[in-house]
Amino acid sequence: MFFHIVLERNMQLHPRHFGPHLRDKLVAKLMKDVEGTCSGRHGFVVAITGVDSIGKGRIRDGTGFVTFPVKYQCVVFRPFKGEILEAVVTMVNKMGFFAEAGPVQIFVSNHLIPDDMEFQSGDVPNYTTSDGSVKIIKDSEVRLKIIGTRVDATEIFCIGTIKDDFLGVINDPGAAS
Amino acid sequence: MPRRPDEDDDLDDDFDEEEEDLEEEEDRGRGNKRRRSDFIDDAAEEDDDEEEEEEDDDEDYTGNSRKSSSHKNKKRSGSQFFELEAAVDTDEEEEEEEGEDDFIVDGGAELQEEDDGRRIHRRPLIPQYEDQEDMEEIERNIRKRYFARADHGDYDEETTDVEQQALLPSVKDPKLWMVKCAIGHEREAAVCLMQKSIDKGSELQIRSAIALDHLKNYIYVEADKEAHVKEACKGLRNIYSAKVMLVPIKEMTDVLSVESKAIDLSRDTWVRMKMGNYKGDLAKVVDVDNVRQRVTVKLIPRIDLQALANKLDGKEVVKKKVVPVQRFMNIAEARKLHIRVERRRDPSTGDYFENIGGMMFKDGFLFKTVAMKSISTQNIQPTFDELEKFRKPEEDGGDIASFSTLFANRKKGHFMKGDAVIVVKGDLKNLMGWVEKVEEENVYIIPKMKDLPKTLAVNEKDLCKYFKIGDHVKVVSGAREGATGMVVKVDGAVLIIVSDSTKEDIRVFADHVVESSEVTTGVTRIGDYELHDLVLLDNGFGVIIRVESEAFQVLKGNTERPEVAVVKLREIKSKLDKRNSAEDRDKNIISVKDSVRIVEGPCRGKQGPVEHIYRRVLFINDRHHLEHAGYICAKAQSCKVVGGSRSNGDRNGHSSDRYPLRATPQVPPSPRRPPRGGPPTDFGGRHRGGRGHDSRVGSTIKIRIGPFKGYRGRVKDINGQTARVELESQMKVVTVNLNQISDNVAISTPYREAPRYGLGSETPMHPSRTPLHPYMTPLRDPGATPIHDGMRTPMRDRAWNPYAPMSPARDNWEDGNPGSWGSSPQYQPGTPPARPYEAPTPGSGWANTPGGNYNDAGTPRDSSPTYGSAPSPYLPSTPGGQPMTPGSTSYLPGTPGGQPMTPDSGGLDAMSPALGGDGEGPWFLPDILVNIRRSGEDPVVGVVRDVLPDGSCKVSFGSTGETLTIQPNEMEIVKPRKSDKIKIMSGGQRGATGKLIGIDGTDGIVKVDDTLDVKILDMVILAKLAQ
Repeated sequence: MFFHIVLERNMQLHPRHFGPHLRDKLVAKLMKDVEGTCSGRHGFVVAITGVDSIGKGRIRDGTGFVTFPVKYQCVVFRPFKGEILEAVVTMVNKMGFFAEAGPVQIFVSNHLIPDDMEFQSGDVPNYTTSDGSVKIIKDSEVRLKIIGTRVDATEIFCIGTIKDDFLGVINDPGAAS
Repeated sequence: MPRRPDEDDDLDDDFDEEEEDLEEEEDRGRGNKRRRSDFIDDAAEEDDDEEEEEEDDDEDYTGNSRKSSSHKNKKRSGSQFFELEAAVDTDEEEEEEEGEDDFIVDGGAELQEEDDGRRIHRRPLIPQYEDQEDMEEIERNIRKRYFARADHGDYDEETTDVEQQALLPSVKDPKLWMVKCAIGHEREAAVCLMQKSIDKGSELQIRSAIALDHLKNYIYVEADKEAHVKEACKGLRNIYSAKVMLVPIKEMTDVLSVESKAIDLSRDTWVRMKMGNYKGDLAKVVDVDNVRQRVTVKLIPRIDLQALANKLDGKEVVKKKVVPVQRFMNIAEARKLHIRVERRRDPSTGDYFENIGGMMFKDGFLFKTVAMKSISTQNIQPTFDELEKFRKPEEDGGDIASFSTLFANRKKGHFMKGDAVIVVKGDLKNLMGWVEKVEEENVYIIPKMKDLPKTLAVNEKDLCKYFKIGDHVKVVSGAREGATGMVVKVDGAVLIIVSDSTKEDIRVFADHVVESSEVTTGVTRIGDYELHDLVLLDNGFGVIIRVESEAFQVLKGNTERPEVAVVKLREIKSKLDKRNSAEDRDKNIISVKDSVRIVEGPCRGKQGPVEHIYRRVLFINDRHHLEHAGYICAKAQSCKVVGGSRSNGDRNGHSSDRYPLRATPQVPPSPRRPPRGGPPTDFGGRHRGGRGHDSRVGSTIKIRIGPFKGYRGRVKDINGQTARVELESQMKVVTVNLNQISDNVAISTPYREAPRYGLGSETPMHPSRTPLHPYMTPLRDPGATPIHDGMRTPMRDRAWNPYAPMSPARDNWEDGNPGSWGSSPQYQPGTPPARPYEAPTPGSGWANTPGGNYNDAGTPRDSSPTYGSAPSPYLPSTPGGQPMTPGSTSYLPGTPGGQPMTPDSGGLDAMSPALGGDGEGPWFLPDILVNIRRSGEDPVVGVVRDVLPDGSCKVSFGSTGETLTIQPNEMEIVKPRKSDKIKIMSGGQRGATGKLIGIDGTDGIVKVDDTLDVKILDMVILAKLAQ
C-alpha cells in the first residue's frame, strides 16, 4: 500500500556545498540518500514529493560536517499481509516463482500455486495448467495476495499466494506483444 | 530351570516329592516337551499348514486360537491339561502364554471332568458366579467387604499425614521376605503359593505373596517368621526357598509403590525395534497386549524373497550377514517365486492378511508381534523419510493422528504461554486456542471458539502447535534447527516453510518450530564460520551458501561452472576475511561492494555487488539469482565495474574513497622507497609509533609465528583479525593474523610509511573511529573549511588532518585557502625531500598515520600563533626530520615508537606546549603519574590533577604537596610496571582504567576494570595510575 507521509531525517552535508545552492544540494542529497531505501516501519521510500522544512544546521565536532534536520514528504510503499498486489514475474523455478511489485520482491511457493498448475522445466520454466490455457512464465503479470512479510533493515520480502479466487495471471507477456 | 510337566500333578497330591526323583523326572519332562511340540506342529499342519517353527521368538499372529482349540481336542483330563501347561511353560515364552490362555479358556469347559481337589483349586480363580447359586448372598458378601473398604477409603482421603504415617508397617506387623524364584515364573510362583494357601488353609502361615512385574527372579512373601516362608515354599519347584531375605521395614512400602515409569504404549505410536534384522527400524504399533507385554507392530519388511523362497522350499539357506533393504512386500512377486501366499482373515479385527511363511503382511507391511521389551518407545523422532515411506501405501490415512503420537516424546516446557495450539485428539479435536498456562502434563488453553468455558485443560499430548500460512517461524529442533522462514503450507502437523536464507522449502513438524519475530536471515553459523563467509578449504576456496546442521554448502571458486561442495567444519581451513581488490577487464579496480556486471562466461549478464574477492575471483551476489543463495562466482577479468561505483560510494562514504585512492597510489611506491632505511626512517618509526589500533597500518612489524616467522614487513592493511604485510625481504605481500605479529619493531619503521597508507586505502577511513581524532577538532576551526576542499580529492581523509599542511594534497586545496596554509611554503623548503613522495600521495599518508595526525594537528595550532615555528612540527614527518632524534631523549620514558604523543612533543619542543592539549585534546588524563623534567631540575614524580584546555596540566607533587601547572612537554607518563594500576591513554578505551597484568615486549596485557576484558595494548598508551 502506498502512503504519503512526512518523514524527518538529519542530513549531513559537507561544508564544500555551502553556498547559494545549499538547499538544492541538500535536497539532491536527500533524494539520493532516501529514495529507494527501505525501512521496516515505513517500507520503501518511493519518491520524495517535497521538502517541508530544513532546520538549522549544526556543525559536527570533529568532521566539520553540518547536520540539518530535514522534514520531507514522501511516498512510501509498504506491503501488508493480506494485501492484493499485481506483480511481474521475474523468475520461475521448481520451488515457485518470484515476482516484483515495484521494489518489493514476492515469492510464491509452489504450495501456493493452484494444484492444477504444474511446473514445466525447460528453456522457459513455467507453471502451466493441465489444459495449457494458463501459463506463468517470466514477465507474466500476476495478481497475488501477500500472506507474509519479512522485514529486514534493508529489504522487505514477501510471500504471496495465487491460490485464491480472482488471483493468478492477469496478463501474458506473449499475449501483450 | 525347566519345569517338569508332571510336577504340577505331584504338587497337588504330594508336596513332599523327593529331590532325587528330580533327575529322572527331568528326563521325562524333556520327553514330554518334545512330544508336545511335535504334537503342536502336527496339529498346526493338519489344521492349516501355516503353523511353523519360527526362527525368532515371535509369536505367530493367529496361532493362539487354533492352538487352543487343538489343545482342547486332545486334552481330556485335568491332569493332562496341567501336564500340558507345564510343558508349555518350559517352552519359549510365548508358548507359555498360550498355555495360560488354555488355562482359562479350557478351565471352564473342563471343570466338570476334574476331580474334586482340582475343582477346589479352580474355584477361587473362576468366580463362583458360574454356579448361579445364591447370588444375593454373594452380592451381600461383596458389599460387605467392599463397602467397608470404601468407607475406609473415604476416611483415608481425609487422613492427615500423621494418620498416614500410622499405616506404615512397624515392627509389630508381619515382615516382607524376598524369595528367589525361577526367572520368568514370578507370577506363577505367587499363584502357586496362593493356591497352596487355599488348599492348606490356615496351615500355611504366610499372609500374602506378591510378584512384581518389574522384578525378575524374586517374589515377596509376607509372613511373620522366616520359617513360615520356608515352610510355605517347601515343595514348590519354582521357588528357591534356600535364600530368604528380609526386606527392611523402611523399604517395605517401596516394594508396593506403583512404578510410575509405566510405558504408555498405545496404538499408532511410533516405536523403534531394538534387535534383529529390523533393529533401528521405525515401526508403528497396531495392537498392544498389556497383559502379555506384547505388541503388534507394523514394519516395512526387510525380506529377501529369494532367500525366503529357498527356505520355504526346504533348501539350505545360507545365513547372510547383509540385512535386506526395506521394501514393501510385493505379493505378486512372491507368488512368482512360488512362495505360498495365504490370504486369511484375522478373526479379531476382520482384516485380511497375506500370510507367507508365518509372517503376516498387509498392504506390503509386515505385521509382527514382539515383546514390549524389544521395542524402544522413548524419544522416537521419525524422520520425514521414514514417515513418508510409511505413508505411501496407505495414502493419507490418519495423518494427523499418526503425527500426534510423535508428541509423546517431546520435551518439557514445550508449550509457552500465548502459543497458538490446536487439539489433535479427543472430543475437542480441531479446537483451536491459545495456551494460557502450562502445568505439568496439562495445558490450559483459551479456546478460540466462543461459548466455551474460559479455559480448558488439555493434556499436552493432545495438543499440537498451530501455525498459519504466512507466519514467520524459527525451527528450534530437528534436522533443520536454526532455520527461519515463512510458513507457506500447513499440512496437519507438518509445516512447509520457505527458508529466509536459501528460499528453499523446508518441511518441519509444527512441533519443532516456534513463531519468531526474529526477522534475521536465520541463524546460520557453525563455529567461526557464518553464512556468506569466504572460506579457504583444503582444495580451493568458496563462499558458504548454506549452513546445514553439521556441514556447510560452499560455492567453490570455480569460474567455469558453479560448483557446490558440502564441507564439514573441520575441512575449512580458515576464513578469508580480507579486503582484496582486483582489476576488471578494463583495468578498473574492483573492490568489495562494488557493483559489477559479468560480461562473459556462464553467468553473463548477471550483475550485483561484489561480496568477496580472492585471487582474482569475484563472488557476486545477485539477488535475482536464486541458486547458491544468490552467489555467482566469476573471474574478475570477465566483469565490468558498473559505472556508478564511485558516485554510489559517495553516499555511504565508503567505497568511493577507496576507489580513487586506489587508483592513484599506484604511482607513489617508488618515490616512497628511497627514504626508507635512511636515518629518518628511524625517526619516523618512532614518530609513527603511536599507533592506536588502526594506526598499525604502515608500521613495520615482525611476524612472530607461522610460516613467515621472523620476517619483517610493513603493514599494508588491517582487516579484522588479519593484516596484510609487505615483507621487506621478499617482494611479496602476505596475510597474517594480527596475533601473529609483534609490532615492537617500530623503531625500524621507515618513515615513509605514511604515504603508503594511501595504498591501504581502506584504512585512511579509520581515523574517524579512533578516538584520537575527535580531539583534533578544536584545531580544525581555524582552517577547517578550506580543507574540505580537499575532500574533493579522493582523500576524504584529509578532512581529518586538515592540518597536514605539508601534505601534497595542498595543491588541490590551496586555492581554497591559500592563506591559511601559509605554513606550507615554509614547510616545503624546510623539507625538500619530503616533496617527492608527498606529492604523489596527497595527504593520504597523513591521514592514515595517527602519528602523522598528531604532528599535523599540533602544528597548525602552533602555526597560527607563531607561525614561524611551524616548520618544526613538520620535521618529524619529513624525512629530513632528523632533528627529531635528539628530541627523542626527552620522550624516552614513553616507550620509543609507542607514544603518539611523546614523540611529537619531543619533536616539537619549541612550540610544543600546546601540543599535548591541542593535538590530542587532553592527551594527559587526570590521575596518572607523570615525571616532570624541567631544565636544571631532577625529574620529579607528580600526579596529574587536572588537564587544562591549553594542554598544560595541573600536577600535584606527592613530596611537597604543591600543585603546579606544567606544560605537557615537561611531563612524561610514568611507565607502568607489571600489576600496576594503569589508565589507557589512547585508543578506543581512552580513559579506561585497568590493571597491567603482564608485559610482552612493547605490549602490555591489561585487564580493563569496567569490562574485565583482557586486552593487549601498546605499552606507550598505558600510564601508571596514581594510587
